Amino acid sequence: MGILEIKDLHVSVTDDETQHAKEILKGVNLTIKTGEIHAIMGPNGTGKSTLSETIMGAAAYQVTQGDILLNGESIVNMPVDERARKGLFLGMQYPAEIQGVTNAEFLRAAMNARRLEDDQISVMNFLKELDKNLDLLDMSEEMTERYLNEGFSGGEKKRNEILQLMMIKPSFALLDEIDSGLDIDALKVVSKGVNAMRGDNFGSLIITHYQRLLNYIVPDVVHIMMDGKIVKTGNAELAKTLEVEGYAGLRDDLDLDVALVDEN
Amino acid sequence: MKTVEQMISADELSEFARQNMEPDWLIEKRLLACEQMKTLNFPNVLRFNYRNWQMTSDLLAWIKSDKNLLNCDLNNNSLVQFGQTTLSVNLATELKQQGVILTDLFTAARDYPELVHDNFMTKAIQTDDNFLASYHAACLTSGIFLYVPDNVEFKEPIELNLIQDSTQVSPLVSHTLIVAGANTKFSVIQQIHTKGSQANLANAFVEVIAQENSHVNMSSLDELGENTLAYLQRRAAVGRNAHVNWAIGMMNDGDTVGNFALELNGDGAQAKAKVVAITKHRQRVGINTGIKNVGKHTVGDILQRGVILDDSQLVFNGIGDIVHGASGSESEQENRILMMSNNAYGNANPILLIDENDVLAGHAASVGQVDQSQLYYLMSRGLSRVLAERLVIRGFLGAVLTAIPLKTVQQKLIKIIERKLADGHESD
Ligand SMILES: Nc1ncnc2c1ncn2[C@@H]1O[C@H](COP(=O)(O)OP(=O)(O)OP(=O)(O)O)[C@@H](O)[C@H]1O
Ligand SMILES: [Mg+2]
Repeated sequence: MGILEIKDLHVSVTDDETQHAKEILKGVNLTIKTGEIHAIMGPNGTGKSTLSETIMGAAAYQVTQGDILLNGESIVNMPVDERARKGLFLGMQYPAEIQGVTNAEFLRAAMNARRLEDDQISVMNFLKELDKNLDLLDMSEEMTERYLNEGFSGGEKKRNEILQLMMIKPSFALLDEIDSGLDIDALKVVSKGVNAMRGDNFGSLIITHYQRLLNYIVPDVVHIMMDGKIVKTGNAELAKTLEVEGYAGLRDDLDLDVALVDEN
Repeated sequence: MKTVEQMISADELSEFARQNMEPDWLIEKRLLACEQMKTLNFPNVLRFNYRNWQMTSDLLAWIKSDKNLLNCDLNNNSLVQFGQTTLSVNLATELKQQGVILTDLFTAARDYPELVHDNFMTKAIQTDDNFLASYHAACLTSGIFLYVPDNVEFKEPIELNLIQDSTQVSPLVSHTLIVAGANTKFSVIQQIHTKGSQANLANAFVEVIAQENSHVNMSSLDELGENTLAYLQRRAAVGRNAHVNWAIGMMNDGDTVGNFALELNGDGAQAKAKVVAITKHRQRVGINTGIKNVGKHTVGDILQRGVILDDSQLVFNGIGDIVHGASGSESEQENRILMMSNNAYGNANPILLIDENDVLAGHAASVGQVDQSQLYYLMSRGLSRVLAERLVIRGFLGAVLTAIPLKTVQQKLIKIIERKLADGHESD
């Protein structure tokens, strides 16, 4: 069993021009165990992507206070690749495009990166696994011979993130808006992929704006984040309440002093 | 110190050529070139100063190279030269029967005088092109001649292997002349490398005369040693509706000037020039890659990609030249340099010279660092930084790699790239 603990996490970013540090996360507490699916919802600009990027280790985000523990071990000073090899995965809101490197080649390199030198995956086993997952995600084999994300449509990129997830089999997946820009069929396919991962050895933190995704991937826990903090935690019903009340309603219920982007 | 044109006398030069049993016209050509040296300038490579490089040698000598120093496998359709010595020539009987000629240049000058006389430094490169071209013509000591008669097509590439003999003092002054008859279609792969560590200069030229409607695919893989100072000039004269694609892997370890040009002389001619270069340590490399649109409806495309490490310097000049009258022509170019070290110096200059209204021209250029978001993405999947960088760089250079027709040579270039990257030092 694995456990990912976020403890009183404060994170700042520094503006390139003014060199001013701005605090984005202001004390986040969160514990996810394998076997659980958590969802985070929250208004634009609240710090959801910041949280997932900080857990993964993106350079722009400075942890100024608090800690992130993976199976009891602090990872805040670990480089990104090491965190990945320890079992973290981030499905990105905007995956990078890399020309000249095929999707298949990359997938193999990623799988081998977490295996020992003398235990690299055989071509046969790799292809078997790949075929199985392509099938489940309704993707054509041709996609794997194309360069990594290059020229992929928005939806294809998201599907490709899930393909990577299924091939790499991390213990914790942070999925940042995997539903954005997806048509309804693609949404079902992507959900099918994540649901296929569900089990005792897999936990996930899903960031989304839409309750609809959570009809397909039913979360065990739902968190609402506002202004760099988790302000409410509940079960799957919380997302539905939110759908009805909106963030303003929730804020007023909780008596929070937070400005929302689309107010004024 | 006297300059080389003062050191070499006409008498000495003609005596030297006679020892080689050269026909009179060739000797005269040498003498003329020797005269021309006195008034010509070094080729101009914008933003690259190499004025104090010793690019010529007054050593005129016929030197034998010992083939026992080499172990090279001889492929079909190949020619191997070690220094001035031709070690082997292999050409499939089928090609011989169709009239294909593959031999060393001096033999060709004796055996096929008209062919060589008409094409050697007359159509693509002239002896008075620049100082180093006239030096080349005057002091030539080795060469290759490939002739493909009209209408001949073949798939298997011709492999030309030049090995510079730096086990001894011996400048490499080498000329490869390729004549592609009308309606021909074939590929040539030329590889140059250095044996030994003696400091020497290399002055190596390639001329391609691509006649009407021919399709010639050229690959050049340069791997000269770190003690070799190199001047490499390559030019194609492209005839009506002919296509020439030229991929160059500039992997020399020493200081190098590259001067590459394709001239689209006939209407409807097309050319692609693709260059990759890696520089490391204190190496300095300056490259001009140009396409000149002369005929109407001609299409030229230049792609240059370089990776610079350590304290090295790399300059890419892309020169798109559309002359008056070349209406309906296109000139595209892209020159990009990836900096792997803050101490390295890169320069990517698109130069467009357009003297015609009815044309399409475009260019892109950049000198920059590895894209951090790409590295982050790859590393977030568990790939180490080193591996992630390798992949990004390989992708960056990929467009040229894929242009090489032989998988084995492609693999070889990838290996050289990996070796150079591992050997050089990156710093942030
Ligand atoms: N690298 C960065 N540099 C500067 N500011 C940043 C950076 N990353 C995030 N921010 C700022 O931090 C705040 C939170 O951004 P974040 O992307 O985490 O929000 P989010 O909750 O994911 O929003 P959305 O729902 O729109 O995706 C925003 O004000 C954003 O501009
Ligand atoms: Mg976001």
